[in-house]
Amino acid sequence: MKKLFSVLACALPLTLGAQIRASEIGTMSQIVDGTKITMEYSRPRARGRDTLFGKSDRTWGTTWTPGANYATTLQVSRDVKLDGHLIPKRKYSVWFVLKNATEWTMVLDTNSHLFHEERPDSSAQQVRFPVRVASAPFTEVLTWSMPELRISGGDLVFQWERARVAMSVEVEPSLVMTLPAADAAAYLGSYTYSEVDSKGKVTQVKKFIVTHEGGYLRGQWDPNDSYFQKVALVRIAPDWFAPAVYDKNGVIYEVLRPDMTFEFTRKNGKAESILVRYDNDEIGAKARRIP
Amino acid sequence: MRSHFTRRRFLAACSAVITASVLPKSVAWADVRTPHPKPRPGITGAHVLTKGDLKDKPELVALYDGVRLIPQIVDGIRCNCGCGNPPDLYSLLSCYEKSGMARECVVCQGQGKLAVRLHKEGKILEQIRVAIDAKFG
Repeated sequence: MKKLFSVLACALPLTLGAQIRASEIGTMSQIVDGTKITMEYSRPRARGRDTLFGKSDRTWGTTWTPGANYATTLQVSRDVKLDGHLIPKRKYSVWFVLKNATEWTMVLDTNSHLFHEERPDSSAQQVRFPVRVASAPFTEVLTWSMPELRISGGDLVFQWERARVAMSVEVEPSLVMTLPAADAAAYLGSYTYSEVDSKGKVTQVKKFIVTHEGGYLRGQWDPNDSYFQKVALVRIAPDWFAPAVYDKNGVIYEVLRPDMTFEFTRKNGKAESILVRYDNDEIGAKARRIP
Repeated sequence: MRSHFTRRRFLAACSAVITASVLPKSVAWADVRTPHPKPRPGITGAHVLTKGDLKDKPELVALYDGVRLIPQIVDGIRCNCGCGNPPDLYSLLSCYEKSGMARECVVCQGQGKLAVRLHKEGKILEQIRVAIDAKFG
């Protein structure tokens, strides 16, 4: 048994495909509102080379994959927009046409499995758009990242040497945050808001004021709730809303679904009462319109 | 110095490698919402945990009892808890059977409670699915 164990232990590194590479394989993956964005790429190092762009196999005018070995790939699980350009969901090989030090062209080719020397010819299936190259602090290892995230996307960033290319990513939103004024009208007004415990006992009574501002249905407690401050009420079903919370800059950063659901009940077309339910479907508060 | 590469760790590593190599690619992309399952013909609540199985969770007994009464509904609902859909999970009903996650997971519990509540209010499976999708999807 010991002998067998030793043999298998020796074989393990081969099983795992261990190999020391100049450009180790890396993956960047990010989910935004249910859309998964993944980049797989070999990551070359600068290795003391101070100038990488404009020379060697990266001379101006060359089509180059921002990685090494097999072409860098981008896979999106739903349609996205990159710098405003529609990218249908699938896997692509990623290329840059290195025009000059400040302007490159992003090329996404539908053939995702290409060696770095198999530069794709221009085709109708490709997505091509210009990108700006900014100067940045020196980055030793070629890196793709998403350092900025928003509820509707983020920034996809390439960095190597002193070159930095940032592209905005927009995902398909799962929810419409705004509500037309005509739809909002039925909910506007003040409600007596009673928080209840798990046994249904009222623990606190506040006022809950529903307004329509800037296209958003908004709710605010009086006295003010120190955590929520003001929330946007995002419609998830007829008369059901999930609260969305704002950061200090007034930008929505999270929708609390399924954490809290505001279930309105109507009388003669107008919202009359609210049941606030948590993710376990327990009632957390009951509210009734103040005439 | 004693090696930390024990037999147990070695077997665990082998297991992880084998699992990763046989894992279907679709599992890695399971974040995208899948359709609700079709309730299996003749499905019953016979495997839903009972009071005896829930001695450490008495507060959940009523919920499990409610789910047991409507297997044809709960078996037609996709679980949205994000557990990655393990191979033996067919529907939300699976979460309430054997070692299913509903014992611990508030999202599994919430979906079950919502299904039981809406069924009591007279809603049909399709309406319950819409409500579950709105809140948990």
